[in-house]
Amino acid sequence: MPMKTSDLVVATHSLCKAYQLGEAEVEVLKAITLNVARGEFVAICGPSGSGKTTLLNLVSGIDKPTSGRILVLGQDLAVQDEDFLAEFRCSNVGFVFQSYNLVSTLTVAENVAFPMEWVRSPAAEIERRVADLLETVGLQHRANHFPAQLSGGEQQRVAFARALANDPELILADEPTGNLDTKNGQKITQVLQMLKANGKTVIVATHDPALMQLADRTVCLEEGRLTSKNE
Amino acid sequence: MSETFFPVNDLLRRKLQTSLTLLSLTVCVASTLFLLLFSDQIGFGITSVAGNTLTVGYYNIFSSFLLFVGILVFAVGAVIVSFITFLMMAQRTRDFGLIKAAGCPNSLVFSYFFIELLMVLFLGCVLGVALGFLTDYAVINMGVFQAYQKAPNFWYAPLVFVAFFVFGLIFGLKPLLNAARLSPTAAISPMQYFGLSEGNRFKALSKSRLTLKIASRSLFRRQSATVRIVVFLSIVFLLLTVSIAGSIIANDTTTSRVENAVGKDTLLVAHKDMGNQYISLLSKFSGAKEKADFNYLDPNFAIPDAALQQLNTISGIANFEKRLVCEEQIQEVMNFTYSDSATIPIGDHREADSLVVGVEPEKVLSEWFIDGRFLKNGSASEAVVGDSLAAVAFEMPLLQSLRMQNTTLNVVGVCLDPVNNGMVVYVPLEMLESLNNASDPNIVLVQLDSSVNQDTVIMRLQERLADVNSDLTVFELNDALENNVGFLGAIWSVIMFLPLFSLVAATLCLIGYLVLAINEQRHEFAVLRAMGAKPKTIVTVLAVQSLIVLFSSFGVGISFGIMGTLMILMTQPVVTSFTVLEIAGWLLAALFGMFLLSLWPAVRFAKKPILKIMS
Repeated sequence: MPMKTSDLVVATHSLCKAYQLGEAEVEVLKAITLNVARGEFVAICGPSGSGKTTLLNLVSGIDKPTSGRILVLGQDLAVQDEDFLAEFRCSNVGFVFQSYNLVSTLTVAENVAFPMEWVRSPAAEIERRVADLLETVGLQHRANHFPAQLSGGEQQRVAFARALANDPELILADEPTGNLDTKNGQKITQVLQMLKANGKTVIVATHDPALMQLADRTVCLEEGRLTSKNE
Repeated sequence: MSETFFPVNDLLRRKLQTSLTLLSLTVCVASTLFLLLFSDQIGFGITSVAGNTLTVGYYNIFSSFLLFVGILVFAVGAVIVSFITFLMMAQRTRDFGLIKAAGCPNSLVFSYFFIELLMVLFLGCVLGVALGFLTDYAVINMGVFQAYQKAPNFWYAPLVFVAFFVFGLIFGLKPLLNAARLSPTAAISPMQYFGLSEGNRFKALSKSRLTLKIASRSLFRRQSATVRIVVFLSIVFLLLTVSIAGSIIANDTTTSRVENAVGKDTLLVAHKDMGNQYISLLSKFSGAKEKADFNYLDPNFAIPDAALQQLNTISGIANFEKRLVCEEQIQEVMNFTYSDSATIPIGDHREADSLVVGVEPEKVLSEWFIDGRFLKNGSASEAVVGDSLAAVAFEMPLLQSLRMQNTTLNVVGVCLDPVNNGMVVYVPLEMLESLNNASDPNIVLVQLDSSVNQDTVIMRLQERLADVNSDLTVFELNDALENNVGFLGAIWSVIMFLPLFSLVAATLCLIGYLVLAINEQRHEFAVLRAMGAKPKTIVTVLAVQSLIVLFSSFGVGISFGIMGTLMILMTQPVVTSFTVLEIAGWLLAALFGMFLLSLWPAVRFAKKPILKIMS
């Protein structure tokens, strides 16, 4: 049965992205058409360089497409300015990078809190939510530590807590277990399981079979094209 | 890889950093060379020219200011060179480690970066010397300075070149040698190439807003570079304060002293020749020459009682003062003092030709800046000497006496006086009249009520005096006063703008520091942007860093600058509320200008796409 547009969190049509490398143009994404419904958990697989990260960057508004349409939560991101995109990311999208990317000068608690400061949440609410999120990822005892004092797995859990700070509708995770050992990878899988249970829309770029199993649907990218859909 | 090919390529690869380093080095060398050339031609030229025209007291104030500013400009130049070469080479520590890790021998990597340092230093110094000469040529040919110009001293070029090349080499080699000693892994660590401190134990401003928190902690983390820039900018602000605040305070102080000594809104009544001679004596500051072999005691110059009575009858005259002016040979009288049971002689038997002015102590209209005191009523054997006479003919004037026509007078004060450039002695009028058998004064100073129309009073005065003696003329001293004050103002303006180049070089260094800050934080800024920070948030973080650096150095520099100015360079300064406002205006303008310019790399960076920053 076809989905209503209002049920779609992400809708792309003929999405293309090319980069200029010197005189050569490298097409990274070629005519991607992908719809992700509210509450859906989608895994994107594909070899390195197939365009997974680029697709997530376009969906989050970090990058802009060369051509095609991209609607996220009803907003056409291709035509918005930088300030709008910044606010949009802050309120509606939680992004988790493969390499954690925590701000090294801020403590764990401050790293989780800063997206809430940008949307001007009251201090008491920030404090309460930070405590809740750190408890969720099992890191309340690390609140006052700096990222350099944490292990890779712990840093990635902080990154998830940060991504959830403003309770975004859409969670994007770029190979969240890619740099982690099995034990830490399992902890991240548990966090994603919890997000799925809470009805969040999740798109994960991954090679991890455990995460693919968790997904409602897996799409594969090969040389910039969606080659298969496993629904 | 060729030993010169790599350095050239590496320098070209870092276009912005190389340009900033070269530009800072060039401006720094140029500013120091310009100061030396300009001071020699104009600045010290002024004092050497003025040495014949200015009083010794004023000459001393100018020369000590110029010397102080000169030392500071040179110090700033040295610190700038050390800072930029440190910055340049510290940023290469990581590359040093990477090349070593790839298997390149230590000595070869060292030579690559050493050649880079030599290239940048050589080019910067050559360009700086050229720019220094060009600027000096351009400034010296501006109308106001043409009168003082002389050929530039070309020996300053090798002096500045060698000094700055060596400074740069020493400070640039230090981080390079440090990198050579490190293992490849240690050299690659950000701890080394950004001068970051270990760990993040210090949670500065944990309750403050996010931008302030990130900005302040990054500054603390980049300790070594931050401390260097704060120390360096403090010296720049010290230099600025001394030259700007010092010049303004010194200008106000010297102007006030000249105005008080000459008398504002004061008229001179004298025979026309005598009047012109006295005006010339007053205007020697601005290069006027008095007539030689002038007979001051010519009976024709005497102002009769009848003329003085006319002064009493004209309304609008607040006061008047009779003076007898003549020229005498003054002899220093040797004195002795006792110290630890030993007799120590003071002075010698020096002689000097000086202007002698007889005054009625209780009626003098002038208020001199005096070391000691002025003459007292009824004491006929006292004298006050001008500052230049005190310097050339006495050792400790206040402990000595002078002899004039076989009459000995105790020196009770030394005054700063523009008349005859301080080669002047003030003595009681009656005593001078009796020494010269003169019964009448030869000049009268007249002070008008401030409420009257001066032109009307002058006209009436001229008419009444013409009835007594048609040669008696009324002169306005304001013109001579304005000449003197204008000349002093021009000299102080020159001193005030001498550090302009240093300010430009300092701004470039601050921009260089911000570039370092951006490079160190670029990945985190990209993350913040990806998490929803607007470009202006990044600019705000960098602006806060720039402000913290600027304010801390501003506070230190200004405190020491004001102390240096008031305690070392200028005693008993005249500081009005307008003086304070003027100084604050200039210094804040400099601070604000530096702050705005320092934001340029931040704004440029914030406009970049997130992925470009991350890559």
